[in-house]
Amino acid sequence: MTDVEYISTGIENLDKLLEGGIQRGFTTLILGSPGSSIEILGKQIASTDDVLYITTEETKDDVAQTMERFGWGISNIDFLDISSKFTQQILKGIGRPMNSFEQKSKSKILELIKEGSSSILPDSNRKFDYLADLLDSIKKTTRKKIILNTLDFFISEYPEDKVFRIIQEIKIQNSGKKTALFIILTKGVHSEILEKKLEGISDCVIELEVLQKGSTFERFLTIKKLRNYAKRIGIARYVVESNGFVLETVERIM
Amino acid sequence: MILITNTLIDGLKERIANAVSTNQSTGIIIPSNNYSDLICSLFEYMDTKPDAIWVYLTITKPFESLFDDYSNLINNQNIIFIDCISHAAGISKEKSNCIYIESPSQLESILLEIMNSYKNTDDKKNKYLIIDSLSSLVIYNDAPLVTEFFTHLINRTRLSDITTISLTIEEELNDNIRKILYLKSDKIIKLKESFI
Amino acid sequence: MEEDGALIINEKSNYKKMEGDSMKENGKCKTGIDELDRKLDGGIPKGNAVLMVGSSGSGKTTLCMQYLINGAEMGERGVFFTITEPLFKLTKNIENFGFYKKKYVEDGLVNIIDLRIISERLGLNSEKYNVEDASALLEVLKDIADELEVKRLVIDSITALCYRLQSDEMIRDFIFKLGSSLAGMGCTTILTSEIPPTKPGELKYSKYGIEEFIADGIIFLGDVNRRGDIIRTLQIIKMRGTSHSRTKSAMNISSKNGIELTPLLKSGE
Repeated sequence: MTDVEYISTGIENLDKLLEGGIQRGFTTLILGSPGSSIEILGKQIASTDDVLYITTEETKDDVAQTMERFGWGISNIDFLDISSKFTQQILKGIGRPMNSFEQKSKSKILELIKEGSSSILPDSNRKFDYLADLLDSIKKTTRKKIILNTLDFFISEYPEDKVFRIIQEIKIQNSGKKTALFIILTKGVHSEILEKKLEGISDCVIELEVLQKGSTFERFLTIKKLRNYAKRIGIARYVVESNGFVLETVERIM
Repeated sequence: MILITNTLIDGLKERIANAVSTNQSTGIIIPSNNYSDLICSLFEYMDTKPDAIWVYLTITKPFESLFDDYSNLINNQNIIFIDCISHAAGISKEKSNCIYIESPSQLESILLEIMNSYKNTDDKKNKYLIIDSLSSLVIYNDAPLVTEFFTHLINRTRLSDITTISLTIEEELNDNIRKILYLKSDKIIKLKESFI
Repeated sequence: MEEDGALIINEKSNYKKMEGDSMKENGKCKTGIDELDRKLDGGIPKGNAVLMVGSSGSGKTTLCMQYLINGAEMGERGVFFTITEPLFKLTKNIENFGFYKKKYVEDGLVNIIDLRIISERLGLNSEKYNVEDASALLEVLKDIADELEVKRLVIDSITALCYRLQSDEMIRDFIFKLGSSLAGMGCTTILTSEIPPTKPGELKYSKYGIEEFIADGIIFLGDVNRRGDIIRTLQIIKMRGTSHSRTKSAMNISSKNGIELTPLLKSGE
């Protein structure tokens, strides 16, 4: 029997819960409800091994700043900063909606007609294809761990079926290259079907939940799915300390 | 009333001339042995009327090889050829006065191209159509379809005052085609083997 | 079209108005494709929104272009909104046809507009439209039609537009509002609908199944297989406001004459 190769999640107790870490080539979906500190989990996973970190909501500098605060280095990280690209596009005025006054003005309509009938979509004006950029970066990377923080951005910018197809392609890439891919998704804001479909194609599903108990909140990390290792499904209560995630009580479900 | 004339190859040109001068739709039934003789006679006849508008529909031979000895006909801009087999056979030499149909089964396109050919021509000129040959269409189409095609075609040519000469090769002739040829022709010329 | 006196009809044109025929022709928008107009008993009733249905390569775009060019010939201004094909590709294809007259495009009688550029300038998300996006787009389409005073409008294709709308309700609403406001301007609209090649007996004329119920008319471009050769066909499925032929015509696309129709020979079907 050949030994299965694992990649550490960067969180000691999580590795223990997973009995070694994440198997190489696995796609892990991390679902978290708002307030679960899911964005920190992504960064902590990025703190070990060589990493491709794709950031969509925060800029590279934001990420670096937060990681420093927790004492995690970033020298091991290769960033794909989609957040900054997106901001630049917005600032360039592409995607700036005309207001209704502008729309109604006659000169604006004539200008629109002129533009619409005279030009082909010029390159500088074309909306940047973030999905293509994502796929391309993942295809090219030689890093061991890939963290996509978050998928939410793509779902809000593209049709769900298109996003799903790209994720399927990325998963195949990941499996072929024996890297470990972590996809971070906010729970409960997208369609349930998409969530289920994503859970379906993932090899491992981790969910972060916040439950109200009396006047306090308790946070739980659940390993909902682990392909080929049903026994490792389990649940742990966690807190986020100054050095990151601390998993407290661990409980096996099966 | 259909007149059927049995004739020998001698004097065929005159027979055709006579038939065409008084009838709007003439059918010619010919044994395959005499096919080339008939074509010669037809071309000679066409040559006597260079000012008329001719449309020549060929399903039998590619346009190029049809007129090896009749270059004056090929270059007569009053003659429009509609070639149904060159494209299907992969021959792709284009000529300005030849319209190519993709395949002999595109019967509707053939109809359209025939009628289009007479558009924008001088109304005072005599208009002729030669179908070479009706029986060859059956190789590429089901007989009832050819029957329907021929009915539409003759109805339209009659309306537009176009004189038609429809060739059929005796060996290719089946009952369906014979029936429709008799039904839609004013005159049938039936050629006997010349050695008889 | 006679009132402004600016219209010059050349002698060869088929569109000379016949005396006494004008009563019948008044309410019709002639496509200028003779056989089609005959099938439609004179033309498409003015103000109708017609769905032109066919699979890719069935001749929808060519037919629509010819409709606009022929309209220009009759002095009616038209606009073509493309969503699927970029302008340069579209004009390159259409230039090969004998019916295409560059002059009409240059003179602004036929306007070809890339809807993607318009929606980008409006700041609409290129992949998905929300309710506000859709209504902004609708307003602009109306404003453009109004500004150009078009009598003929084409959207190629409505399927690509519907793809960006997120619910059946939005599609229904969009087409309905577009149709009724254009009808109010006396503008006759053709919306092309892209459908996957149909199986025999399958009767669906639009991808989303909604477009076909809102449209005033449906013209279906299909094909029949004859001994392995494909023959293009055209059939009018429905047309409000006129009697029309329901028979299938064989359709030819020739570079010289564009769309040509002739009755389909039936024995072979």
